[in-house]
Amino acid sequence: MMPVCTVFFLPGLGLDATAAAPLGEALDDRFRLVPIEFAVPAGEPDAVDGSVDALTRTALAAIAREADGGPWILLAHSMGGKIAAAIAAHVLAGRTGPDGESGLFGLAGSVLLAPSPPSPEPMSENRRVRMIGWVADESTLDEEQAQEFLSGNIASSLSDADSASALQQLSRFPPSLWRGWLEVGSREDISHEVGTLDLPVTVLAGDDDDDLGSTAQPALLKDVYPRAHFVPLPSTGHLIAYERPNEVAKAIVELWDTVIEPAPQTPAEWGRLIASSRTDVEVRSNFAERAVPDDATYAPLALTEDQLATLRRLADLLVPQPGTARIDLAARVDARLAGKPGDGWRPAGLPDDRVAYRLGLDALAQTWPDSPADQRVLVGRLVAGEEAVAAFPTAELSRRWFEDVRVDLVQSWMAHPASQARIGYDGFATGGTAPEPVGFSELAAGRRESWEPRELGRLGDRHENHDQEQHERDDA
Amino acid sequence: MNLDGMKTYQDDDEVDVVVVGTGAGGGPLLARLAARGLRVVAFEAGPNFDSTDFTQDELTAPRINWLSERISGGDTPTAFGPNNSGMGVGGGTLHWGAFTPRPDPRDLTLRTETGVGADWPIAHAELVRYLVEVERDIGVSGPTPYPWDAERTYLYEPVARNAPADLMALGCERLGVRATDAPAAMISRDREQPHHGLRRAGFNLGSIHQGDRFGTKASTAITYLPAAVADGAEIRPNSMVTGIERDGSGRVTGVTYLADGVERRQRCAALVLAGGGVETPRLLLHTGLANSSGLVGRNFLAHGAAQVWGRFDEQIRGYRGYPSALITEDFVRPQDADFAGGYLVQSLGVMPINFATNLVRGAGLWGKELMAALDDYRFSAGVGMNGEFLPSEDNLLELTDELDEWGLPRAEISLSPGENEKAIERHAITRMTEMLEAAGARSTRVVLRSAHTLGTCRMSIDPSDGVVDPDGRSHDIDNLWICDNSTFPSSLSANPGLTQMALALRTADRMLAG
Ligand SMILES: Cc1cc2nc3c(=O)[nH]c(=O)nc-3n(C[C@H](O)[C@H](O)[C@H](O)COP(=O)(O)OP(=O)(O)OC[C@H]3O[C@@H](n4cnc5c(N)ncnc54)[C@H](O)[C@@H]3O)c2cc1C
Repeated sequence: MMPVCTVFFLPGLGLDATAAAPLGEALDDRFRLVPIEFAVPAGEPDAVDGSVDALTRTALAAIAREADGGPWILLAHSMGGKIAAAIAAHVLAGRTGPDGESGLFGLAGSVLLAPSPPSPEPMSENRRVRMIGWVADESTLDEEQAQEFLSGNIASSLSDADSASALQQLSRFPPSLWRGWLEVGSREDISHEVGTLDLPVTVLAGDDDDDLGSTAQPALLKDVYPRAHFVPLPSTGHLIAYERPNEVAKAIVELWDTVIEPAPQTPAEWGRLIASSRTDVEVRSNFAERAVPDDATYAPLALTEDQLATLRRLADLLVPQPGTARIDLAARVDARLAGKPGDGWRPAGLPDDRVAYRLGLDALAQTWPDSPADQRVLVGRLVAGEEAVAAFPTAELSRRWFEDVRVDLVQSWMAHPASQARIGYDGFATGGTAPEPVGFSELAAGRRESWEPRELGRLGDRHENHDQEQHERDDA
Repeated sequence: MNLDGMKTYQDDDEVDVVVVGTGAGGGPLLARLAARGLRVVAFEAGPNFDSTDFTQDELTAPRINWLSERISGGDTPTAFGPNNSGMGVGGGTLHWGAFTPRPDPRDLTLRTETGVGADWPIAHAELVRYLVEVERDIGVSGPTPYPWDAERTYLYEPVARNAPADLMALGCERLGVRATDAPAAMISRDREQPHHGLRRAGFNLGSIHQGDRFGTKASTAITYLPAAVADGAEIRPNSMVTGIERDGSGRVTGVTYLADGVERRQRCAALVLAGGGVETPRLLLHTGLANSSGLVGRNFLAHGAAQVWGRFDEQIRGYRGYPSALITEDFVRPQDADFAGGYLVQSLGVMPINFATNLVRGAGLWGKELMAALDDYRFSAGVGMNGEFLPSEDNLLELTDELDEWGLPRAEISLSPGENEKAIERHAITRMTEMLEAAGARSTRVVLRSAHTLGTCRMSIDPSDGVVDPDGRSHDIDNLWICDNSTFPSSLSANPGLTQMALALRTADRMLAG
């Protein structure tokens, strides 16, 4: 089966891309696991120095190379966790990557394993000094040191093969990166740059881990990830990917099945266009935020829980979404109602939008019929102004309020990048801050340009050659 | 726009002229007065945008619109916000569609011709001289010769036609209706704009209502306002004028304004209100000035702006290219009219949120039918009318007792179309539907709407019949002028932007003449 989601794995200190192996086995083939390599020996062109910035740039470049335009998840362990926060902030801000032109799109959530937080990583000074001492002469860890590190970070022993692999990774880990992380990266405070990340996130942490264990994590991360779901793992140390590969896989599958898959996915070709340099940074950021799957436990800001529930029922009827995927349109309208500014007007005779919503939804809840057929009849009569929501003095005012509701809901649907892809709108990829101004050169019916998604028409004459090359590159 | 190094005045300086608003009315007037050496300050309630503030994200783009709430009544309440207002240095020209037909001479004498509507107290020939000047100043493209006006020439060849324009052309040809490339304040060749810089042509963006980064579309912020600043004008963004001060004789001595929440005063020898068809009457009603006629806020006018959308077999994707690239003026006085006046028709492509909003508000869609119509977006081409709207006592702007964020009473605007407007709309919908069907539309759908805010301080020769004289000067206060869409005595079938800029230069000349 074709993979539906890419999982980018960011390993922790002392480990490298090989550490993804146990996870690769545990994950089913809907997921494409792509480990990112930080452990490049000093002196090689892509060696990393252990600062958050350098690690982030490495990861961003790797993700940009491997991203296919579809949805992706960050799976990050320990040191990788801090980098995952920096990456998520970067992607949600729509920023361009190391090439200075294109960005990334498609981040749907994160699974974090005993992650290092955006704030300085808690670590006893003794331990830090001792570990830095291991590479004092720029040598790699010796067997004893590797063994000490491994056994200090697990709660029960690993299989022989895993143990051997971990030790091997530890003993070849670049000393400069080891030292750089302990001296610089781990101590950096990037909380301000990262801010609050409104992403679905699962945090796995071991009960037998110390500073980054299950009791420490909520305090370290709940403000960074308000949607974080913390999962404590009994009898587990720090090396969760080795100790609990099945739990990790389960967390990924659960995040996908219950949160990401139920939300609309932007097709890969469209995701690539949003990531490309044609799309403006701000537009990419807005799209990235709107593409994040909604929070099933969303607490309304302008409405009550009951009012939100009524609005959800209305949304299903007024703006029925195609297929099985759902945007929580009601929650998005609630968030817009709570924020400023409004849309610049309201019908005479109605109170301001927020109050009108409350009154209208409360009144509707009173008379909401049980059967779907009756619900449709009622909605049709409300749209036509043949029946009034009791909160409003006349049927005509009720109709006007209901018109605003319908507009707000459909605008929230239309603003989602997957909806724009669905209706065939790619104008977002013009007119922005791209390095060179970009617009349209093919305007004829049935025709498209080489940069446009293929479904949008036949290639216009002057675009044929270019497109040929593009496809060859895509296929390569 | 770049305001670095701009000349600035102190609040205590008595400047020659204060201008309130920097849109189609305020911009050209400011430039003209500054060019003649007057000490002028323009106040703008909205921010000074950088070109990179214009976004391609349609949901957040309305930050260039007036989003302070207005209250809308009548049979067909006007949808304000993105559909009907601008806010920021450049005013409505930041987001206008830049469709720039010239007014038809017959529309200026509608009352003489038909006994209804209003005549303009301005000769068409004089207006044309100013229109030509504006077209040169801002860079207007269009076809020469122009089928409905043998005299006319355009500076630049027309901008490229998009798919809706191709289809409207085809439909018109098959019906024997004349249609041609639309005049547009869009450059079709790169242009060096004095005091602004290079404006670039050829990007064919359909999103110009969200602002244009490349300067293809003219706004006052890249044309008249930089020229004004170069000639010593000051522009004060984020400054909302809330009051007008006067001396014992009733003449204006200055304005009060709110900037960063602080109330300040600016002294001036003369005041020009250019806040647009809603804000100018609101301020005058609030201050109780210039209203001996009782007509401030009366005769609110819009344009009938119904659209018809056709569903075609091919992907039209009318969001590409200049949105209204084709025009017909054949219906300015249709042979078979059962109404006074007439309308223009333009081809249409719109952005998705606009399309969806219009399907709900203008076509009453919901549920599966709405979603199916959205799936048809890419196959849809539209045509739209801009129709004469007769003045009526019942269409008006009044103050409510609810206060806005600056402490001013909010405006309530009532709009109900009369029999003439309904007859024009019916006629236009029939013709537009025929056009699309002739072009091969499989099905068509009507979207009802109105556009523009005009007439609330209309000009008149007789002081009892209007708020300002034909020059734009208040009938009541000799150093108070109005220069915006509120002065339109009738709506005309042409869209108001170009005419407004011409009126602005003319009012400036009249002020300079003393
Ligand atoms: C969506 C849309 C599309 C349009 N397309 C076209 C078109 O294609 N062709 C055409 O001819 N016309 C078009 N128009 C109409 C055109 O934009 C207007 O006719 C024109 O801008 C009106 O000029 P104005 O000077 O009256 O007001 P505006 O251009 O609106 O300028 C008024 C300015 O005054 C400021 N202001 C108001 N009150 C105060 C205050 N108290 N203190 C300080 N500042 C204040 C406002 O912030 C605003 O910037 C369009 C309008 C809209 C809404």
